[in-house]
This record gives sequence, structure tokens and C-alpha cells, in this order.
Amino acid sequence: MVKVTYIAADGTETTVEGKTGDSVMHTAVSNDVDGIVGECGGAMMCATCHCYVDEAWTDKTGERQSEEDDMLEGAASEVKANSRLSCQIKLTPDLDGLVVHMPEDQF
Amino acid sequence: MALAPLNEDVTFDQLTLDPYPIYHRMRRETPVVRVPSVHRTFLVKFSDTKMVKDDPVLFSSNDPRTPMQPAFRAHTLMRKDGAEHLAERKAMNPALTPKVISAEWAPLYEKLAAEYLDRLPKDGPCDLFEALCGPLAARILAHILGIPEATDEQMMRWSQNLIDGSGNFAWRDGPFEITDKANDEMDALFDKLVERCRATPDASALSVMVNADDPIPMSQIYSNIKIAIGGGINEPRDALATMIFGLLTNPGQLEEVRAQDAWGKAFEETVRWVAPIQASSRLVTEDTQIRGYDIPKGDTVMTIQASSNRDEEVFGDNSEEFFVFRDKNPHQAFGNGPHHCAGSHTARRTVGKIMGPMLFERFPNMRLPDPAAVKWRGFGFRGPINMPVILG
Repeated sequence: MVKVTYIAADGTETTVEGKTGDSVMHTAVSNDVDGIVGECGGAMMCATCHCYVDEAWTDKTGERQSEEDDMLEGAASEVKANSRLSCQIKLTPDLDGLVVHMPEDQF
Repeated sequence: MALAPLNEDVTFDQLTLDPYPIYHRMRRETPVVRVPSVHRTFLVKFSDTKMVKDDPVLFSSNDPRTPMQPAFRAHTLMRKDGAEHLAERKAMNPALTPKVISAEWAPLYEKLAAEYLDRLPKDGPCDLFEALCGPLAARILAHILGIPEATDEQMMRWSQNLIDGSGNFAWRDGPFEITDKANDEMDALFDKLVERCRATPDASALSVMVNADDPIPMSQIYSNIKIAIGGGINEPRDALATMIFGLLTNPGQLEEVRAQDAWGKAFEETVRWVAPIQASSRLVTEDTQIRGYDIPKGDTVMTIQASSNRDEEVFGDNSEEFFVFRDKNPHQAFGNGPHHCAGSHTARRTVGKIMGPMLFERFPNMRLPDPAAVKWRGFGFRGPINMPVILG
């Protein structure tokens, strides 16, 4: 299992355990974490799973893909250097303890 | 294993008039069921409809042999998968993002909404469906798409023609003769407007597609605009009408929505409660099973998101009720997967943040004297077809 901590815009922290291979979006949605919607189910069509990867983890989560950039153009909240679509971050044992911050709005 | 059970009792008319009690029973007794009157296998549970939409390989949208082809005179992105679908969809997306809508268009939409509200009588009886919901949805869409020269009447007529043609599964000539005429009118208008978009680019869908660095073919640009006309008027119109009904028949909730400025939540609950697009079809590409029943290759399954949105397993005991303040509302009104509604952000902003709140602010004493007089219709698309309120 891989631990992921989601920090909401109001500071609320939720830590859940995800499975290797699952996405950060899927892990949030299946654990009822508010703040990640993931309406399109990971097809990169809705930009409602936007998150900011905690600065301490950006090296491990890697760069965002160009298609992700296109979709983030449509995100409801501000896009920053550490913005990602959480459906595109797959959990690996290396990411155990990952911290992501959630934007104010997803749509 | 066996094929899913047959339900030979349910008729198309019943589904059009009042489908919800039928779906309620199906969720309990036959969550996977073949319905010969519609020639489809219905899926009525939340997890099944989501699973199907999220798996475009096994459950394909790619079907050029539907009446949509002659209706649009094109194989549109709605009926494509994979890279083809993605390229056409991405071409239009920049015009439909929350940022563009808030930054570029919101002031215009507020102005248009105010103008259409000004035209209503100050008080007394008024059918808001006819006087406001349809025309305002049409006007705003015309601007989003970059075709403001089209009149409200044209937009609404083209939209209905395209819908009727796409649903012409009996393959009668009449509806296609009508869509041919509508297509001619639309093509002639677009031909004119493309030149203007090239000369003076803006954030509209037509302009964004025409002026892209690597534009998709003009025929696809046109069919994308037509898809948006066919699929972009009824939904906001019906969502607004349903929201009016939901809030006026639940005055306590209306008061709370006003107090908390919870219009976004009210919109989400509206489209959960009566999803403007109730059902979608997917072609099965390999023999498979759902809930233990054999679903053969070549079958067409129908995801009934109208039913998933009232699934007791997800929405609890009050799933059939309009209740804005539910804890979670992960409805499927905008679908799931690669074909997730491209207009979702637009709808949430125009209906949820602009039309709804402006209407209720303008007419604080509006009421619906006889909720039973409101008629609801539709199987594939559903909403009220009248909204007889007293405005003041």
C-alpha cells in the first residue's frame, strides 16, 4: 500500500492508502476525499482532478505530459508550475507518503 | 451463463412519459435487462454505467451506421473513438474552458440574461419554458459558438431538427429531409462567418477551430459546431426549467440556496435529479459479461444515467427526491470517460452561476401555483415542456 495525503484548500488533511498502479485521482475518489472530482474517470477530458504536487515530491512524480498541459488550460483554479492532473500520477512504492494540495475549485 | 432477462412489458411511451418508477423497479429486480421496445440492453446501476463509459475499447461509441450520420451529413465526433475523437474534441475545447467562459464571456452572458429577463412581464402568469429557458439558452450558445447571426428561432429549430434526425431509428425519409434543409442553412451561414473569424479572431468555438495552428478539416469544424447546436440548447434549457421546478416546489431549500449562495449545488442537484441527457448507447466490441449475464459482441447497451443518478446505493434513501444539500453528489449527468460532456463547464457557469441566480433575484416572489400542471417528457432527453409560473 502507498500512503497519500490530500490537503484541501482550507487546510484539511486526509491521509489514505492507495494501491500501486492506481492513480492519485482514483485513490481520492474511491476513498471519498473531497476536492478531487475526476468526473471523466481519467480520460483527460474534464480537468476536475487538478492538484498541486507538494514541492517536496515534484521530483518523484515527474513532469507533466503535453496532453496534460492542454487539459490544465481548462482548469477552474490557477495553474502553477507544480499543477498536475491527478489522474495522470500513478502510485508506485517510491511515492509512499506523497502529499498533494487541492485547488479551491474543480469546476 | 445466460442472456439478461427480457422486459417485454415496458413500452417506449411509458419511458417517455414517466421512466423513473420503471427504473426504480429495474434497479431492484433486473439491473441488466433487455428492452425490445427500444432494441437495447439497459444498464441502470451507477457502477455499471460508469464502468461502461470508462471502457471505450470494449464499449465503443464508434458507430457510423446510426441515423446521426444522415442527420448531420457527417460521421461526428460523438460517434468516434480514440485518436480521431480526441483530435476533433481538442480542437473545440479551448472555447469551452472555465477560464475562457469566466474571463471572456461571463459579462456578455449576464447582459444577455438581463435583456431576456427584461422582456418578461413584470408580474402575473408566464410560461418560463417558452419565454426564457429555450431562447436564452439559444442566444448564449450562438455567442459561444461564434455564430451570433443565427436567430433564436433558427438555433432552436436546427437543434430540434438534428435531435429528431439523430433519433430517427425508423429511418423514415421525412426527418432527414428536414435535417438536409437545416444543414443547408447552417452551412451557408458558417461559410459566411468563417471569413470573419479569419479576419477578426475571437474566443468563440468557430474562431478557435478555424484559426488553430494545425486546424482540423473544415467539414469537421462544421460538424463540431452542429453537434454543439444539437447538444447545447436542450440541456441548458431543460436544466434551467428543472431547477425552477425543483426550487419552487421546495421553498425551504430555495431560501437556503439564497442564504448560502449555493447555486452551484442547486445546479448539480438539478442535473442529478432529472438528467437532461438520460441515456447513451455503446456498441459492444467483444463478448463480455455484466453482473454475470452474457453480453454478446454486436449488442448495443444503453447506459441509463438517469437511473444511476438515483441509485440508492450511492445517493441513499432520498435518491428520488430533489435535495440540494446532500453530502455527496457524484452524479453522471455529464457522463464519464472520453465522451464526458465537453460543455460541462459552460453549463455549470451559464445555468448555475448566471441564469438561475439572476432569474430568482429578479423575481423574488415567483411561484408555481400548480406543480401538477407541469408536463415532463422524454426518454433520451428529458425535462419539463412547460413552466407556468406566476412571476410577481
